[in-house]
Amino acid sequence: MSETTDNVKGTSTKQRTSNNPLLIWLKKNWGTLLLLAGLILFPYIFSLISGTPVSEGPPKFWQGQFIVIFIMAVYAMSYDLLLGYTGVLSFGHAAFFGGGAYAMALFITHVAPNIISSYRITLGSVNVTEAILVLVGFVLAVGVSVVLGLLFSAVSARVKGAYFAMITLAMAEAIHILSKATDFVEWTGADEGLHGVPIPAWINPTQFRLRFYFVALAFAVIMYLVTRRIVNSPTGRIFVALRENESRVQMIGYNPAVYRSIAFIVAAVIAGLAGGLYALWTMSATPTMTGSGLTMDALIMSILGGIGALTGPMLGAVLMEFLGHFFYQWFGARWPLVFGVIFIALVIFLPYGIVGTWQLRSRQVQQGWRRLLRPLRIEKQSE
Amino acid sequence: MKLRTFWRENSTVVTFIGLLAILSVLGWIFMGQKPFVRTTLSGLTLAALYFMVAAGLTLVFGLMDVLNFSQGSMFMIGAYAGWQFYTNPTFLFGLAPLILAPIAGLAASQWIHPLVVNWKVPENRQKELQALFIVLALIVGLVAVWGVDFRGLAETAMVATMVAADPLAEATPQEPLGSFWFRPVLLLIAGLLIAVAQARPGDKTKVVYKDMIRNSRILVVVLLVLALGAALIREPGPIAVLQMGGNLRFVLSLIVGILVGGGLGAVIEATLISPLYVRPLYQIIVTMGLAFVIAELIQVLWDPLPYAMSRPPAFAQPGKAENILAWFRGGNTTVDILGVTFPSYRIFIIVLGVLMFVGLAVILRYTRLGMIIRAGVQDREMVEALGINVRRVFTMVFALGTGLAALGGIGAAPFIPVEPIMGDKFLMQGFITVVIGGMGSTTGAAVGALLLGLARAFGDYLALKFSLTPAISEASTVIIMAIVLLARPAGLLGRKE
Amino acid sequence: MSDENNHILTVDTIHTYIGQFHILEGISLTVRSNSITVLLGRNGAGKTTTLKSILGLTPPREGKITFNGKEIQGKRAFDIAAMGIGYVPEHRAIFRNLTVAENLRIAERKKGDLERRSEFIFGLFPDLKRLYKLPGNHLSGGQQQMLAVARALVADNVLLLIDEPSEGLAPILIEQMMEAIRELSAATTVLLVEQNFIMASQLGEDYYIIDDGKTVHHGTMDALVEDQELIHQYLGASVRVRGGER
Repeated sequence: MSETTDNVKGTSTKQRTSNNPLLIWLKKNWGTLLLLAGLILFPYIFSLISGTPVSEGPPKFWQGQFIVIFIMAVYAMSYDLLLGYTGVLSFGHAAFFGGGAYAMALFITHVAPNIISSYRITLGSVNVTEAILVLVGFVLAVGVSVVLGLLFSAVSARVKGAYFAMITLAMAEAIHILSKATDFVEWTGADEGLHGVPIPAWINPTQFRLRFYFVALAFAVIMYLVTRRIVNSPTGRIFVALRENESRVQMIGYNPAVYRSIAFIVAAVIAGLAGGLYALWTMSATPTMTGSGLTMDALIMSILGGIGALTGPMLGAVLMEFLGHFFYQWFGARWPLVFGVIFIALVIFLPYGIVGTWQLRSRQVQQGWRRLLRPLRIEKQSE
Repeated sequence: MKLRTFWRENSTVVTFIGLLAILSVLGWIFMGQKPFVRTTLSGLTLAALYFMVAAGLTLVFGLMDVLNFSQGSMFMIGAYAGWQFYTNPTFLFGLAPLILAPIAGLAASQWIHPLVVNWKVPENRQKELQALFIVLALIVGLVAVWGVDFRGLAETAMVATMVAADPLAEATPQEPLGSFWFRPVLLLIAGLLIAVAQARPGDKTKVVYKDMIRNSRILVVVLLVLALGAALIREPGPIAVLQMGGNLRFVLSLIVGILVGGGLGAVIEATLISPLYVRPLYQIIVTMGLAFVIAELIQVLWDPLPYAMSRPPAFAQPGKAENILAWFRGGNTTVDILGVTFPSYRIFIIVLGVLMFVGLAVILRYTRLGMIIRAGVQDREMVEALGINVRRVFTMVFALGTGLAALGGIGAAPFIPVEPIMGDKFLMQGFITVVIGGMGSTTGAAVGALLLGLARAFGDYLALKFSLTPAISEASTVIIMAIVLLARPAGLLGRKE
Repeated sequence: MSDENNHILTVDTIHTYIGQFHILEGISLTVRSNSITVLLGRNGAGKTTTLKSILGLTPPREGKITFNGKEIQGKRAFDIAAMGIGYVPEHRAIFRNLTVAENLRIAERKKGDLERRSEFIFGLFPDLKRLYKLPGNHLSGGQQQMLAVARALVADNVLLLIDEPSEGLAPILIEQMMEAIRELSAATTVLLVEQNFIMASQLGEDYYIIDDGKTVHHGTMDALVEDQELIHQYLGASVRVRGGER
């Protein structure tokens, strides 16, 4: 009953507004657009409210928090592409993130200065050498991620399920060991990691925080759009089919191994890019970025927000950073204890994460309303 | 014919032993006797530790398909519990009545069953009634533990270690019995409330046999007596333990370790894992969250510092024993084995590991639980169809696994630092061990542990000899895993599907 | 009403889903005490799922199952089994890494079950006595099937669910299996899934035909044997395969 009324309603709204595609698009995405506008204006509004200049004090601090959130949101989203969409439980995601971060940091520390001192690329009268080098850094991060993604997916073709989870964990651990091996100490700084990476002055996050804020925001938006495009493409639908029933995918003529590899590489590239940007933001690359703790973060953010929807992990990232910030103030250094207990409770009582449960609830609430209103409607009809 | 079937079933193990033998001969010749023996012994020590963590992992995964990420934490909890008990058991004695009392209540579930089964509860309300009882239990439980000075209790051993003062001189932060008694009583009530919920009041189809009721009765009485005893000896207990000889105390702490680990495992399975069998992914995530929480909790109680537990006197007399027999008499720190001076405590670890393997094999081979485990690894559904309460078996196996890990942790405590990151470290090695050996196979876990332990030890040796970095030996475990999996995706002794 | 009391098992329009697939779309059947009831139907019709649904291994989402006067739908499988239902799964699913003795011992619900019943069991399957100490994977197919049936007899079961006992057995063994089932049905009730129509028709007293997850026909076996048309309509394929090619 309710479904048919739904359909009727849907077609009628479409008929009313179908004359203007832009309007439909606006109507469909007004929430997202509003959020985007809010985020763009956030630094200014915050500085207005707090009464401090936009690049100092609390506004600057909170811009920093948001930059981390943007990067982590992209990172968590890439993890969800594997866990939520393709149904692959991998515990090696930090390897991609850390790989990207190290690629970027190593390139800028050890290679870029030589190039800058001997070459000069200008666009008109502007020196764009540094900008191009940062882009090259990102390209390298992508390259490293692709290689790692291929490595992981090669294993996934052979091993499944819990085995695969443990193997990815071990492989990421191997990358972690590599990142802190003393053999490469003059390159990677071993345990200490690389610090004070000489990133181009115009994007320096301490000097031009606001600029970096917009870079990170743009990055998050672009990555979200790209991922959404992938997820909604035919390839993305095969990812979901893989999650639901692998043998069926094979039966209708797609090679599961190939599509799982694609999922891995896409997820790896996105995570790697996030890692590259994170290296720019912290001006460092440390073994923590390849450690299992960061994989845990991705998992927690995904579960917290809800897997299988891109907005879920992003919301999870927001929550985790915010909760981290406030819990630290309330509970001191041991705040993860409280966080962990809440997390366990969430896993048990909110199986679909926050976004998933909210969607479910709102549907239930809608249905409840409809049920309540149904007698009224019948009365109206009879009148 | 017999030989052929033997070969068919044990080819992997035989090949493995053969390879090890060949490698040993080569190593003996090329490395020389002393370095070879020393390296092998260190490798065996590591192998024993890895096995202790991996045994539980492989059992639990084989039977229940649960990947227990908190297994490393159980190892760590064992280490902390043992260290506490050995150094100053005030903390454990203070907690014991608070833990035993609710368990006594919980155990009464079958006993209560005949009383509540005839309650008139409409079928659609039964679930709600159960939930109500559980919520009540939680509230009562919270009231019961409100205001207990956990941190003060925990600090007793810390102070003893750090100041190296006479532990007996430290004032105990225990509440006097007069104001303490209500806590275990309330917790007992909380346990009983949950037991009522578990007895499913009004549900007439739940079958409880007479012998189950009798067992439950015995268990409750035993636990109640224990809880009462624990409440009474809260203050004199620690002093009595500290006045015991060091060796006896150490043996006791091993037992305490098993009990703490096993008990905790049972509680975790019953409360956190079992509601999630319909959502396997979330089981993994819950155990991960648990590992996280346990590591944090330990840091709250004991700060993120490494502690050293002193070795029991049987391994602490200065000097070197000429052979194992001489060590039995002297209790020296080191012992001479084939010309190599080796710490005697590490020999103990190797022996403990072997004992654990043998014990586990005996349990699996000769007890009913072992029979059910072996059957369940192959076909869980059929075990259920025989009318065996697999859920209870799951709880027991989980507890067995965590108990073994905790025993391992306590054994390891005297020669590795007791610190909050030890859980993660051993979890990783345990996973690799299990993957190499094959999920679900205890022998596989032993083989994997041997392979890993020896690889680490010989890797370290080679790294030292050719002045490479220790990263080589660290990474060697992953490399071995990769090679094994390329040849055999289900691990060396894993079931093929 | 007196008829009602004589029914040990009543299945009332159960619907079972496996994943998203609607396997049973309203199965109803009744089993009389101390009788042999046979479930017939094509491969994939839902016979095995029916047995598993009764036992709670694939719990039905809708419908009612009454066993021995108690409603058992929605209970956990081991609770249902412990009420006195023995299950012999298809494909000779014994525990291959356990010995014959252990395979029987594990089915005990009370200590001493096996000792009490061993005479009866070895009377039905004398082979098992000889094989007692051997691991299950050393047994031949027929021996495994006998062990699977014997396992269901260890505890005091009032109802046996037997799934394709003749599957892949040599004719002589089928004879033996039939003899055994007939013998044990003297004391217990049997609900049998059987593709081999000859065996089914000789053993069964009542029959139910399941097609596409629904019970489409039932009655007494004697009536069915007469009704060639019905046999061909629903069981034609399977009967021809058994009769023709083998």
